[in-house]
Amino acid sequence: MLFHHQCFARRLTRSLAVVSRSHPSPDLNSAGPFQIFDREAKRMQKDRAARKNHGARSRTVDYVFDEVAEGLFVRFEDIKRKFDTLLELGSGAGRFSKLLETQHTRKSVLLDCSRESLYRDENRGFEVLIDRINYDEERLLEAVQPNSQEAIVSCLSLHWVNDLPGILVQIKEALKPDGLFLGALLGGETLFELRTSLQLAQVDREGGISPHISPMTDIRDMSNLMGRAGFNLITVDLDEITCGYPSMWELMDDLRDMGESNAVLGRPHFIHRDTLAAASAIYKEMYGNEDGSIPATFQVIYLIGWKPAATQPKPLPRGSAKTNLKDIL
Amino acid sequence: MSSPAAASTITSSTSPLRRLAVHSTTTCATQASAYGKCIMATYTDVRKDVCKDEFEKFGKCVREAMKRKW
Repeated sequence: MLFHHQCFARRLTRSLAVVSRSHPSPDLNSAGPFQIFDREAKRMQKDRAARKNHGARSRTVDYVFDEVAEGLFVRFEDIKRKFDTLLELGSGAGRFSKLLETQHTRKSVLLDCSRESLYRDENRGFEVLIDRINYDEERLLEAVQPNSQEAIVSCLSLHWVNDLPGILVQIKEALKPDGLFLGALLGGETLFELRTSLQLAQVDREGGISPHISPMTDIRDMSNLMGRAGFNLITVDLDEITCGYPSMWELMDDLRDMGESNAVLGRPHFIHRDTLAAASAIYKEMYGNEDGSIPATFQVIYLIGWKPAATQPKPLPRGSAKTNLKDIL
Repeated sequence: MSSPAAASTITSSTSPLRRLAVHSTTTCATQASAYGKCIMATYTDVRKDVCKDEFEKFGKCVREAMKRKW
């Protein structure tokens, strides 16, 4: 029985405001540059998701976060350095930090805008010491001092940050020289099946489209942004996770319970039932698996970058090589 | 047409959205599939009501299953 997702290989986000919300409509004309997401709505969604059934429901939909935290951990283990303290930015309940052992670090500091998420697993086991800061991830430098962090890790949180170039600069500033940034965020192919199905359904039923799924970045932009933010020794790579669901409805339920519902400014607060039913039929017909389930793709962009320091290896000067490349090739 | 996976999700859950989910995927699977196929056949040029007839049949089935106006 495919009651829950079954994820395989490598490959999440935002779904839809299924229920009409009570927030006032944002005034799009007054939003400053880079305002794409409604951060307050996002915080409320995450709080609500983490509170449901005392966190039990939220834990059962951790599967995408867990998969990506594992991916981050594999990369983290390749780094032969022991940290005293590291910071997990947009940590939720400690997606990455729960994997850490005392051989990696003494302490991990969790930072998240959602208090409920942050404290969801307060009484559950972490092997390393845990501190918690309940603060808006977008304003990192108000929560920590510049040049203060040995390492900053972020697991699937940066795709909700309005000013992505800005947060990367803040991360670099918050790091000590030679400090490590290790991150994962969702890329633009994420939930393309759901996006397409909703768009087709809405065009056919209502004659227009509205933003149900966030805009997300792609791998080329991330490489450029990492460089522009001033990181050294940058590695950016891509991974995909595909999860199977009985139908579009279970996918949308899970996204909501992950706290990953739509939080785009100016989003519709209501989807007509006709449109939803139509989208579910289109999803199944266009993308459905042979066993009747439907796939959902989560594209994950992994980032590694180091704050520049005099001690880091640098390319040798041009022309200083002693061996002719021809002799090797 | 109805998938065993979806069928297994029919429970005592009674929220309207949950019932809509069950009826649109299971009870009315045949009509849903016909509607989906229509969109598939025209998805490079979708306009409003391009699959109106197919949707009406699908919608009618779901409405009857829901036993009320939605």
